[in-house]
Amino acid sequence: MFKEIKSLFEINWIYIFLLLIIFWIGEINLYSAANGSLDPWAMNQLKRFIIFLPIFFFIIMLQPKFIFNIADILLFLVAIGLILTLFFGYTGMGAKRWIRVAGFNFQTSEFAKIALILFMAKYFHKLNAEKTIGFIKALIPLIISFIFFLLVAIQPDLGTAVIILILGLISIFYAGINLIYPIISLVGVALASPFLWTLLKPYQQNRIKIFLNPDLDPLGKGYHIIQSKIAIGSGGKNGNGFLGGSQSSLDFLPEKETDFVFAIFSEQFGFTGSMIVIALFLILFLIPIIKSFKLTQVFNKLMLFVLSFKIFFEFLINISMTIGLVPVVGVALPFMSYGGSSLLSNLIICALLLNFMSITEKKRMFS
Amino acid sequence: MEKNNTSKDSIKILNRRSFIILTIGLFLSLIVVIRLFSLQILNFGFYKKKSVENKVSVKATPPLRGDIYDTTKKLLAGNSSSYEFVIYKNLNKNYQKEIEKLNSLLSLNLNLDEINKKLYKFNQYSAFKITSASWEQIVSFEKNKFLFTSIKIIELKKRYYPYKNLSQIIGYLGRSNDSLDLYNKGVFHLEKSHDDLLKGKPGKIFNEVNSKGKIIREISIEEPIKGKDLNLTINLDLQNYCQSLLPKNKKGSIVIIDKSDGSILSMNSNPTFDAQVFEDRKNKEINNLLNDESKPLFNRAFSGFYPPGSVFKPIPALLGLQNNLINENTEIFCKGHSSLKDRNYYCWKKRGHGKVNLKKAIRESCDVYFYELAKKTDINDLSALATNLGLNQKYELGLSNSQSGLVPNKKWKRAYLDESWYQGETLITCIGQGYNLTSPLQLANLYSAILNGGKYPLPRINKESDIIYSGKSFNINYQNILLESLMAVVQEPTGTAFKLNNLHPKYVKIGGKTGTSQVIRIKEEEREDDLYKTKDVDDRFKDHSVFVGYAPLDNPKFIASVIIENGGSGSSVAAPIAHNALNFAYNLDV
Repeated sequence: MFKEIKSLFEINWIYIFLLLIIFWIGEINLYSAANGSLDPWAMNQLKRFIIFLPIFFFIIMLQPKFIFNIADILLFLVAIGLILTLFFGYTGMGAKRWIRVAGFNFQTSEFAKIALILFMAKYFHKLNAEKTIGFIKALIPLIISFIFFLLVAIQPDLGTAVIILILGLISIFYAGINLIYPIISLVGVALASPFLWTLLKPYQQNRIKIFLNPDLDPLGKGYHIIQSKIAIGSGGKNGNGFLGGSQSSLDFLPEKETDFVFAIFSEQFGFTGSMIVIALFLILFLIPIIKSFKLTQVFNKLMLFVLSFKIFFEFLINISMTIGLVPVVGVALPFMSYGGSSLLSNLIICALLLNFMSITEKKRMFS
Repeated sequence: MEKNNTSKDSIKILNRRSFIILTIGLFLSLIVVIRLFSLQILNFGFYKKKSVENKVSVKATPPLRGDIYDTTKKLLAGNSSSYEFVIYKNLNKNYQKEIEKLNSLLSLNLNLDEINKKLYKFNQYSAFKITSASWEQIVSFEKNKFLFTSIKIIELKKRYYPYKNLSQIIGYLGRSNDSLDLYNKGVFHLEKSHDDLLKGKPGKIFNEVNSKGKIIREISIEEPIKGKDLNLTINLDLQNYCQSLLPKNKKGSIVIIDKSDGSILSMNSNPTFDAQVFEDRKNKEINNLLNDESKPLFNRAFSGFYPPGSVFKPIPALLGLQNNLINENTEIFCKGHSSLKDRNYYCWKKRGHGKVNLKKAIRESCDVYFYELAKKTDINDLSALATNLGLNQKYELGLSNSQSGLVPNKKWKRAYLDESWYQGETLITCIGQGYNLTSPLQLANLYSAILNGGKYPLPRINKESDIIYSGKSFNINYQNILLESLMAVVQEPTGTAFKLNNLHPKYVKIGGKTGTSQVIRIKEEEREDDLYKTKDVDDRFKDHSVFVGYAPLDNPKFIASVIIENGGSGSSVAAPIAHNALNFAYNLDV
């Protein structure tokens, strides 16, 4: 089940170092979000990080083969979890997202992403296709992706649901589905969008309209995005300095510790700081990707690529939210937003990535 | 290739797909970077401004209004502080309990039901005034401050008017209709006309506020700038003294001006009012003032227009001299009346004055002399000369409700009554009755013009204002004739105001002219019937008593113009008041 202890020294320490830097920036940011106080966020988040570290190393030490083997079981467990959440989960921020396990509240949808990707990796690995994949063979992953999408969407948490769906589709695309299908789908969605628009309920249409023009509702739905843009824009080139952000300190920014942490950061450290964070995440993204190119086994390649993509993708979506490029959908900024489930799931992903980055492939690792 | 191993082709496909996804990912990153560049670099200024607007709230602080002083630097209008108990509903849900507590703690006897009713509809974030606070109440409130969370004491700057008899000159402040004005502004008299001078500049407090509008810290303060002071030509002692001279139960006015520069030294009107009630918002008193039939808000000195009566006579006299209609020695015979086109015009003295020259006509106020003169007089010339001497015009003093009065001419009658002029009306006009309307201030100014020889300084009340001369000079000989006659009115035994010398022999010697301003136009028959006798008529229909005098005789400086409504004859009521006032002014040596 476990690797040998010495393999711990073979893991990619640069990646861990990078991870720590990003987490530390997140900590500083949470400290400043509380106007220079460890309470209520920075200290809590640090405690969680420390609590999660054993899990992190536990996963690093797992045998890749073991992970490969339990991928289906994980998917099944997560699906059960999602269903239980719908019935027994408790409501927060208008949606049933959390389920209580062993004194902790887990946002099951966060873990669904990991399980789905692992399942995809295993499925396409087993498929062992020589050329591009046809529609029939992609049907099961497609159906499972949509089931997960629906289970999360009816919580309702449309943002996370869409991310899950995109991750599923990306996996299928990566695995080599015939290009004709993605193209047909994209064209189809584009053609159907006017019709889909009429299917949306008026309040949903309203949300999209407000996203396109926040000034329609400056004190309501548009307020978040307006204030966030003011915070980021007023940061300028070099920012207002550490703890110098008035949008944050005077509470003009709502949800500043979760969805809008980047606005707080950018208000303090400006364009320069934002570029540094983007660069750090880009490197964090590319390290496993580069490794994935060198590997030959589908399971290894796909899980390295899509898991790493997941972190970067959420990072991009979150920033795009704060600068008004996409609607506010409630996607956390990895390692920087306050919250346990997001931190734990991303740490698990990083542990998986570290685990698989250090493997040397034998001819056939899994069967 | 082994069956169990992944084929090279499939790896190629996966790697190719990696590139596609990577390219899309990097492209999306680029969009994010461009957007950040646009927000933080290109539009930095716009968002910085928004951010500052978000957090900075500007609060204006009222400036102190400029003081108003009399000519000896005594304060006539200033600023005072008062304190009020106010309540903010948002600070405590049980605010009603707090009012009850305050009521019993300070034994205020508040009408709690009424307050609660008003408070119910009141904005919860604004200060609602419960009651004004005395010093003792403030002290005992402060001792028990811990009991109250929503009740506060606030300081109010108020206008302070110490002298009631100046309200009709200084005016008062009121709410502005212009929403751009933050504070009360002058709405009456000098407070209104000199508002720009007095109002000062509000200060600004820049506060940093959080998203809920709570003040976090003070960023900077711009101190308010106090308004400029206004110094008046009024002499407070003289003003107070003159007010005391006016009979309490009579409406009337007394104006004293300085002939040398046009300064208004005092200007009283009775009844008067207290401007403080407007500042204190005493609505009941304000309503009483507005509905009072004696019109206490009405300053009779410049808004009260009356027929001038005989004090008008120097004007036709001067016109007669100037146009060679008469000379100093021209005599006519007064047999008690004069006739024109089978109509009789009567002298006040039924028996007649006998042989009358100009000096005697003024001294004894013979009407017939002026009727005869009027028969030769062109009303247009008379009106023009009167205008030249300061009547028929209003002075730019900054006093509300100033009017120009009237000395009629043909054009006026055509325009307003659509009738042509009758010579008989000239007769009535020449003795100061008829359509003639003058204010006490205008009459004082008329005599200033005569004493100055035609070119006279316009009346002024702002000590810093320029002295502006008006009018045309006339022959000094004519002036001597007029002054000699006016002197004789008081100083010679047959003068209509000679009894002043017996009344106050030690007072300064004065010259002047008595007048009796008719309230109702008595029908000729009544006059003839002898029904018309001052003592018999109802007070309401009594004549107004008028006197205009000047002192000292040898070198005139002070001019007093007095009218007592329904006072009776000029010699008995108005003249002694004017003499008293002139004597006081003379001894004050302002």
